[in-house]
Amino acid sequence: MDWASKIPTLLACAWLLPLASFVIILVGGRKLGRAGRGAAWIACGAIVGSFCLSTIALAGWLWINPLAPPADHAHHGPAHASVSSAPEHSRERPAESSLHKSPGSPTAQPLCGIWYTLGEFGSSRVAISYYIDGLTVAMFVMVSLIASCIHVYSIGYMHEELDEVTDEAVRLADGRRLRRPGRFHRFFQHLSLFSFSMLGLIVAGNLAMVFCFWELVGICSYLLIGFYIERSAASNAANKAFIVNRVGDFGMIVGLMVFWAGLGTLSFGDIRNGAGEVVEQGVFSLVRPEKADHDLVIPEGLVRWSARGEISQFARAQAAAGVPAAALPAERIEQWRSSGWGYGLLVLGGLGLFCGCIGKSAQFPLHVWLPDAMEGPTPVSALVHSATMVAAGVYLTARCFPIFVPEVLLTIAVVGCITLLLAATIALTATDIKRVLAYSTVSQLGYMMLALGSGGWVAGVLHLFTHAFFKSLLFLCSGSVIHACRTNELTQMGGLARKMPWTAVTMLVGCLAIIGAGIPLVGGLSGYYSKDAILAQQYVFAAANPHLGWMFYAAAIGAAMTAFYMFRLWFLAFVGKPRDAHVFDHVHESPPVMTGPLVLLAVLAVAVAWHVPLTHWGLEPLLSQARPLGIDQPEFRGLMLASTTIPGEHLSHDASVHTSAALLAFAMGAAGVLLAAVMYAARKLDPADVAGQFPRAYRFLLNKWWFDELYHFLWVRPTMALSRWTAQLDQRVIDYVWDSAARGVTMIARLDDWVDRRMVDRALDRIADAVYRLAIRARGLQSGYVRHYVLAIAVGLVALVVVMSLYWSNASAGW
Amino acid sequence: MSIYELMAGTLYDLWPQSLRAFAPELALCGAIVCVLLVRVVLPRLPVAVWYVAMAGAAAALWLILPDLTRTALGELSGGEIFTGMLIADGYATVLRAFFLAFALVFIAFVQASKLLDDDADATELSVLALSAVLGMCVMVSANHLLMVFLGIEMASVPCYVLAGILRRRRPGSEAALKYAVYGAAASGVMLYGISLFGGATGSLHLPTMAHRLAELLASPAAAGEATLLIVAGLMLAVGLAFKLSAFPFHYWAPDVFEGAPAEIGAFLSVASKAAALGLTMRLAVCLAGGGAEPSSLPMAAGVGEQIASRAASPAGSDGRERVMIDRERTAGGENAALEAHAGTDRPALHDRAWLQASLAPARKFLYSLLALLAAATCTLGNLAAYGQANIKRLLAYSTIAHAGYLLMPVCAAVVAVGNDPSAARSAVAAMLYYLMIYFFMNFGAFAVVAAVRQAGGDERIESLAGLGRRSPGVAVCFAAMLFSLVGIPPLAGFAAKFVIFGSLVRTDLYLLLAIGGLNTVVSLFYYLRVVRLMFLREADAGAKPLVVPVFSTAGAYIAAFAAPLLLFFVWWDGLLAWAEAAAMALV
Repeated sequence: MDWASKIPTLLACAWLLPLASFVIILVGGRKLGRAGRGAAWIACGAIVGSFCLSTIALAGWLWINPLAPPADHAHHGPAHASVSSAPEHSRERPAESSLHKSPGSPTAQPLCGIWYTLGEFGSSRVAISYYIDGLTVAMFVMVSLIASCIHVYSIGYMHEELDEVTDEAVRLADGRRLRRPGRFHRFFQHLSLFSFSMLGLIVAGNLAMVFCFWELVGICSYLLIGFYIERSAASNAANKAFIVNRVGDFGMIVGLMVFWAGLGTLSFGDIRNGAGEVVEQGVFSLVRPEKADHDLVIPEGLVRWSARGEISQFARAQAAAGVPAAALPAERIEQWRSSGWGYGLLVLGGLGLFCGCIGKSAQFPLHVWLPDAMEGPTPVSALVHSATMVAAGVYLTARCFPIFVPEVLLTIAVVGCITLLLAATIALTATDIKRVLAYSTVSQLGYMMLALGSGGWVAGVLHLFTHAFFKSLLFLCSGSVIHACRTNELTQMGGLARKMPWTAVTMLVGCLAIIGAGIPLVGGLSGYYSKDAILAQQYVFAAANPHLGWMFYAAAIGAAMTAFYMFRLWFLAFVGKPRDAHVFDHVHESPPVMTGPLVLLAVLAVAVAWHVPLTHWGLEPLLSQARPLGIDQPEFRGLMLASTTIPGEHLSHDASVHTSAALLAFAMGAAGVLLAAVMYAARKLDPADVAGQFPRAYRFLLNKWWFDELYHFLWVRPTMALSRWTAQLDQRVIDYVWDSAARGVTMIARLDDWVDRRMVDRALDRIADAVYRLAIRARGLQSGYVRHYVLAIAVGLVALVVVMSLYWSNASAGW
Repeated sequence: MSIYELMAGTLYDLWPQSLRAFAPELALCGAIVCVLLVRVVLPRLPVAVWYVAMAGAAAALWLILPDLTRTALGELSGGEIFTGMLIADGYATVLRAFFLAFALVFIAFVQASKLLDDDADATELSVLALSAVLGMCVMVSANHLLMVFLGIEMASVPCYVLAGILRRRRPGSEAALKYAVYGAAASGVMLYGISLFGGATGSLHLPTMAHRLAELLASPAAAGEATLLIVAGLMLAVGLAFKLSAFPFHYWAPDVFEGAPAEIGAFLSVASKAAALGLTMRLAVCLAGGGAEPSSLPMAAGVGEQIASRAASPAGSDGRERVMIDRERTAGGENAALEAHAGTDRPALHDRAWLQASLAPARKFLYSLLALLAAATCTLGNLAAYGQANIKRLLAYSTIAHAGYLLMPVCAAVVAVGNDPSAARSAVAAMLYYLMIYFFMNFGAFAVVAAVRQAGGDERIESLAGLGRRSPGVAVCFAAMLFSLVGIPPLAGFAAKFVIFGSLVRTDLYLLLAIGGLNTVVSLFYYLRVVRLMFLREADAGAKPLVVPVFSTAGAYIAAFAAPLLLFFVWWDGLLAWAEAAAMALV
């Protein structure tokens, strides 16, 4: 079977199924089943169908690209790589460096192609294309699986929307509570559109298409976060998410423009025609050409762009010398390239793209929207803020990794590091169960960015996958709790484990997974593998860049904080005495349609990173296979910050590094859990006392580092002031001018009206009267007597003869 | 020419040329016979007479379709058939197809509108309509004044009866009588004109007449015959003006339209008018020096022998020869005539430039006459429509006014024939295009009147009040037709007026253009009065419900007439290009 041609079709079907579901629900709406109940089945069917197709595609992918056994990491030569400024240098090296490149599985050839060309502009084209590698198929399976679980879970969670809803959170002007029709079908409609957008983003083969689906994902999140649109908090949160993302997208557009203008293409991979020849070079092969052994080379387009002044000078010089215009000699290009022309553009483009990722993945300083986005229904939080939307930023960073230069990677790492610390500290004190999880998400995303930025491509992406599973599990568990307690406040919960055993156990599994629980050097839950890999990479990074060693410690401390706040949450909710008897009395375990997905996700959260027993097949080898060519160099230096090197990922597989990282992670996790147990389970240490010890720090954290206030002061207030000022300007000045002008025109019009009535109209009326009278007279010609008519023939003929004869005799004189 | 040659020539080109080109008309004749026989032979046949008639029209249409596509491609060879009595060129083909399609639509429409409940009446109406259409086909392909007269009578006589098809209705009978008497008088005058014309030019064959006329005008003795020619031309014009309902020979129209049912009004206003215009255009262009190149003329040197030799050996000829029915001028027969002509020192007859130069006075005369008629008809029609209270009478005057608009491109074509053939061609195309659009808007308007009548309304304009609320779909369609009749942009009527006025601009007829433009403004008043009544006035309290749902046969018909108005506005070029291809044959 020719899988290479089937896989794009399979993924296209998997991608378009949710769109079909969206369209059906959009058209059918409330008419699908009772009160739109059928919408849920359609949406679930579509996404489960997507999952099945994606799984088949994954199987096909593994069939044509079997995973190689793990390589021996013993040998690492002293090869060094930097941005190739001298091609001769890179041409010398293939024989040598082929030994050191791709220590893991041999990287499989990605499938690129075009489904539909939207337009061609000279050599550039805009198309619906695909770029499929191991990462794409793995993401497809992950996203569709988690989305399937969440769809099913939502059937139970959203059942109230089937009937008329009384929204307790919304007071109308007259004090009554808002009553509105249920929006069950609308919810599933948005979920389907969201799944479609996310899958489209993953399968996209060019940056323009990525950007379209990027924005679609943003719109869907706006719709879903603002699902309870009548609640001002929800609609504000939706606006905030949308606006903050626009800030990031601005940077992304800058990045896109750099690549579009400089390279003339936004396609990721090379587009080949039927004969296998490259018809359009993609961004990846332009930046890391095969003949330079996939080392990063400044593309000729960017060199020419930044040297355009010199090029036109050269052309003028040639014209002045009377030489017929010849092509620019290649040596000049090489000369400019080796002196770093165009490198700044590469940095700018990379930073621009990452800007978009900052917004979408809620990184510092644009992380403020994500916690507020918890106003949406909890399944939405689980979908949007664990596996899909926020993952999109990390996904894009991973996807575009080959075109990022070390300066960009360092920025990514620093931003990720700051984010992970910042969010973890805020999570320590948050009391809203979903906000704890939200900040935890931000923090984990920071981990991923940190891993990616410090060269750990597989580590970061692996964490993306494992995190997706356990974080959606945690969100769904919290949804189950909220569904039962009808409150988000941890301070009103306690002792729920007795009444909600399934939820409690699955949530415990989720907590263990996120803190990376496991037996060091033996194995553990899924989080164990990814967190270990990240810490190991940090270890290597710190060793390579001693001046950036603090990032390693930040990551380690972050791990401890993660353990502390997760178990604080779990202890507060499920252990101890109920704090609010009224809430506790109404608590009940959720229905099977909700607990079923919890159990499934719990199993996955435990096992997703495990190898298939007795084989070397698993998630990590698959991702290693998907690692872009050429990025796993022992050292990767930029031209601007020459002191910083990005170490290769294979270095972190070293046994000693691995051991230290694993032990450290275990120690940190254990410390966090212990502290949480002491404070919240055993109650040996009163949290209030601890908070009282450091009142300022506590308030600082409780108020989320004053970020909202700071942004309010820095951006919102000036903007509002400006808008008020312009409104005043509009009212006082511009309106006045226009009003005066209008008054003047009115006066002229009145004068004109007078003239019109008194003079023109009267004249026209006379004419009209005359015409009308003439018309009535013309009607009078029609006597109705046939004898008159026949007479009229004779009269008419005679009249015509007379007229024409007169005319003839007058006119013929001239002929 | 001996009778033998005539017979031989007739037989020779009868089968391969004439009958093949005449096949649609033959099918129509067959259909007429079938309709009559069905009633007589199979009175109990469950198939309604309508379907037989429709099948006949469809068959005729199907027979003409191949020619139609060749017209579009400009490939139709076209030429005189039946020894020059008729001509089957692209122009005639397009108009004939128009009439056949019209017959099909008309019969289907009458059947759907349930005008007649008696099967016998249905037979009569079908037979009459089909024979009138047959006459119209002859009119537009006439190449000889006898055929012109014959065609006009063939088209008119059934129309007289059609006007009174509802025998028990007094106004109908009165209308029919008036129409018949008026028509008879007009025919008499026209016949007189034809005989005078024939006498003056010595031929009734149009291209021959044009040449004779050119000779006459070129000779110094022209002045003596000028009065005779003027009178003959005007008398001929009377007959055509009657068919066109052009001022001052329009008197029959309002009374007939009011008395006859709306369906018959549609027939008279669209088909009858189109035939008259098609004929007028051909006559005018021919006498102005345009028209098909006569392939042979009996008086041309050597042609007589050619005909004789080819008639004797038909296999050796190219089949395009004609034998003229020609009144010999000289008693000595053909050879003497040839010698007599050979003696004069005039240029060769085939020299078109000479022909057109000689015909300049005739063009001037034709142009003046047509412009006068167009301007007067247009103005009178629009003015007289003001005070009407009956919707059919209003539409009758609107029809008269449109005859005026439609005469304008004829005028332009006559002017342009002499110096700018492409302008003349576009003027002909403009007229054809206007006719096609006019079919949809005017037929549609009459269809609405018929539908309103079937729904229980009467024919007073006032009874349309509030139609916009009672049956909005139909009211919107009717409004679209009325706006299109005015010529307001998003509708095809605008495009049609635009091309007509465009042809006037190309030929520098600015005065006529101004009159046309002013008339358009004037016409706005009475058309919009109807629209205002429909949408802005509530129905009277005691009025009948008057509901014509769009999803009914009548509603569907009306919508089908309204939709092309939008379509042909968008697809303006396509239809016009087709009309231009058809006009190639004429100029």
